Amino acid sequence: MVIAFSLIRLSPGDPAAARLGAGAETEAVEALREQLGLNKGALEQFINYMAGIFRGDLGVSLVNGVDVLETIQRTFPLTLIYITLSVLFAFIISIPVGTIIGWSNKATAVYIFRGITAIIIATPNFFIAMVAILIFSVQRNWAPVFGYVSEFPENLKYLWLPIAINTLILVAIISRVLHTSVVDTREEEFVETGIIRGVSRPRFFWFYILKPSLAPTVVLMSYMMATMLGATVILETIFSLPGIGRELVGAVLASDYPMVQGILLMFGVITVLLSFIGDLLAYALDRRVKI
Amino acid sequence: MSSNKAFREDATRRERLKEWVSRPGGFGIITGVVMFASITLVGFIYPLVGPYGSDEFVGKSLEAPSLAHPMGLDQLGRDVMTRVFSAVPIDIGIAFLGVSIPLVIGTIVGILLGLSKNKYFKSIVSSLIDGINAFPLLIIAIAMVAFLGPGLFNVVIILTIMNWARYARIARTRAVVVLQQNYIEATKLMGYSRRRVIRKHIAPNVSSESLAYALSDFILVIIIVSGLSFLGLAARPPTAEWGSMIADGRTFLGEAWWLTVFPGLALCWAAISLSFIVEGLSRRDRGNA
Amino acid sequence: MSNALVQIDSLRIDVKVTRTRRLTIVNSATFDVEPGQLLGLIGESGSGKTMLCRSLVGTLYRRGAYIQSGSLTFGGTDLVNASPKDWRDIRGKRIGYIPQSALAGPNPVMTIGAQMAEAIKQGEKMDNSYVRARALELLEIVQIRRPEIVLKQYPYELSGGMKQRVMIACAIAREPQLIVADEPTTGLDVTVQAEIMELLRQIRRDLNTSIILVSHDLPLINEVCDDIVIMHAGATVEKIPSEQIEKTRHPYTQALYNSRIDLVEPRGKLITINGQPPTVGDWPTGCRFAARCDYAQPQCSADVEIPLATVGTKHVSACIRQAEIWGK
Repeated sequence: MVIAFSLIRLSPGDPAAARLGAGAETEAVEALREQLGLNKGALEQFINYMAGIFRGDLGVSLVNGVDVLETIQRTFPLTLIYITLSVLFAFIISIPVGTIIGWSNKATAVYIFRGITAIIIATPNFFIAMVAILIFSVQRNWAPVFGYVSEFPENLKYLWLPIAINTLILVAIISRVLHTSVVDTREEEFVETGIIRGVSRPRFFWFYILKPSLAPTVVLMSYMMATMLGATVILETIFSLPGIGRELVGAVLASDYPMVQGILLMFGVITVLLSFIGDLLAYALDRRVKI
Repeated sequence: MSSNKAFREDATRRERLKEWVSRPGGFGIITGVVMFASITLVGFIYPLVGPYGSDEFVGKSLEAPSLAHPMGLDQLGRDVMTRVFSAVPIDIGIAFLGVSIPLVIGTIVGILLGLSKNKYFKSIVSSLIDGINAFPLLIIAIAMVAFLGPGLFNVVIILTIMNWARYARIARTRAVVVLQQNYIEATKLMGYSRRRVIRKHIAPNVSSESLAYALSDFILVIIIVSGLSFLGLAARPPTAEWGSMIADGRTFLGEAWWLTVFPGLALCWAAISLSFIVEGLSRRDRGNA
Repeated sequence: MSNALVQIDSLRIDVKVTRTRRLTIVNSATFDVEPGQLLGLIGESGSGKTMLCRSLVGTLYRRGAYIQSGSLTFGGTDLVNASPKDWRDIRGKRIGYIPQSALAGPNPVMTIGAQMAEAIKQGEKMDNSYVRARALELLEIVQIRRPEIVLKQYPYELSGGMKQRVMIACAIAREPQLIVADEPTTGLDVTVQAEIMELLRQIRRDLNTSIILVSHDLPLINEVCDDIVIMHAGATVEKIPSEQIEKTRHPYTQALYNSRIDLVEPRGKLITINGQPPTVGDWPTGCRFAARCDYAQPQCSADVEIPLATVGTKHVSACIRQAEIWGK
């Protein structure tokens, strides 16, 4: 929070002047500064802002005067839905892929797997998105890129491609981490005891392979989520999805400071929450993890 | 066992190279280095010897790829190939600055943190590091563009402000470990000056880990620089830059795919070559084939 | 000899390194285990002890290893060609296994109770209250205090000695005829080590189980076991009753015996074995100890298998010069 605020204070530009444009008269700028409370001291501004947060008041947009919190409430659900779906699908796909390749340990399979995932991770998501658009939207009109409709069955048409791209990238990341983890686990001595105890196959895979491997994966994932949030900004912009990421880019381009600040705060809260959830989950899987 | 052969006195250079490549990850490292070297070389040489300028209008708008223009022409009739290669020094150069400056600053701060005995300095800087690291890099970079304004120079500043904290954390952890080693104790007993100990003994041991991270960070930073440009927040027209070229090509995706695909491939080439090196090095570390 | 529980004859275990490369880890292991016998298996690291243990519980394949030739029978069942069903009937039920490292043996993400239940059930359906009662009983046998609490704990909450006691409890859950203990005291304090050894002896007494105790610590083995099998570089070099260890008929055993640090007479010279054991898979011809042996002669390195010669009852040696050196 302190950081989000100090970013504004550190900025050389004057939000009021920027808002009104270069040709604005001095009195008009002063009036706006007054209105935004920018003429007060830094500490006072900070205290006012903090007080506002606790009242649920994040200020209003400089561009259209809309309440920042309201904008976040309007745009965030879409981002949340599509991040949640991507993470869910990604785990559903990654767990068997990472486990099976890690457990079988066939040299060729591992080589191909690590090569492909390295390429996917190194490819910028916006390029993947552009190629996907070229294939699915330009050549066949399967995934429209403009004019998002928010009604339920209709919106899937707009959402499936960004979700698929996000899932693909996440699968590459998660399955890689899980693979490394499973390879480490399978060398462990307790796997031997599991075989000797005559444990049934599904039980063996869960308790002796997957569960011990998942905790590090989950911890790493909560760190990765931060990077993921960055990716949504770009994907939302490309697919013109009215989510919080596109709102951020719009606000930045329009120098809408309260909006940028509010969204940044939101992202900060989400990041902290996610890493907390990740730690809790890891603890549930493996009691050795410290919260 | 088999690697002993490489250190035999009579092994020729060729044999030694072969031996080196055959060790785990060798193939990946070589491929990555060759790929990265080739694009860097082409990027620095082609704009000097190529037939067109990067901002020169040489033909019809959106002309399809042909022999004269292997990657076609863009919406303003500029040669895409020239622009793709002219972007190399910008993309890789900016990313290089965005990694090396934070690397140096962060490592110095990290070592100082490790050495420092001042409780207040330690806790303030440490919480600053953790605070900065809590935010997603791309998000914070985007937000900071709002305050600093778009532009490549500002991107370097933003990357420096944001990224040093990651390096500082690595260096701090490492410095604490290195300082406990016996050989540091030994240098003190031998009466070396504090500066000499830091320069000759602590810094090299700390920076090896930071350098390893820097390599994978390089990929991330290339993607962030081009991503910011893609959003119109870094490179501004008419600068030839991959991200902004891809963004320009978006409008013409239906009729001129070459505007998007070629800069994208160049970007992938650079990032993937680095990731092959990272992958190869980590395999070598783990020691499995 | 015919009533032996385990019969191992010229067992050779290879491991797949790459698609075409094979390494021989165990070359010729030959010995029997009698019912109720506490047998010590000793050798330096790389002598193939662990692989031999794994062949007895059928987990060789996990390291890409397999039995190349020779025979291995347990209670009349051929373990070389055992089917998965045979293994299910033998492993855990008739052969218990105590893993090498107490620290890594128990599964870190399961409670002790859940792991013991698995060891008791061995994949069969059983009444929960019976399983619990049995688990408590087993923990009593291995002398763990407050078993009700331990059942609910995770391995990281227990000390090394406790963990190994739990592993022993798991191994004896089905009262097996044989327990394979692969260096069960690695990483434990000397006092704990002694307690674990005492526990193994007691279990052998109470359940009349055969135990194969693997170690690299000759004095320890000598004190605990009835008979000792000495392995060197993948081959059995001598089998000798422990009370006769001083009358060894093999230079390697002698060297091992002499190289122990003598606590009684600490000022004595510390004797070590010359050189390093041969590299795994890169075995020399003939006697593999020849390069390090004080008695070696050219014929020791001839390209022939060294046979195990009977010296006395229950005493065999693989030294071709044993008769010359020690006389009749």
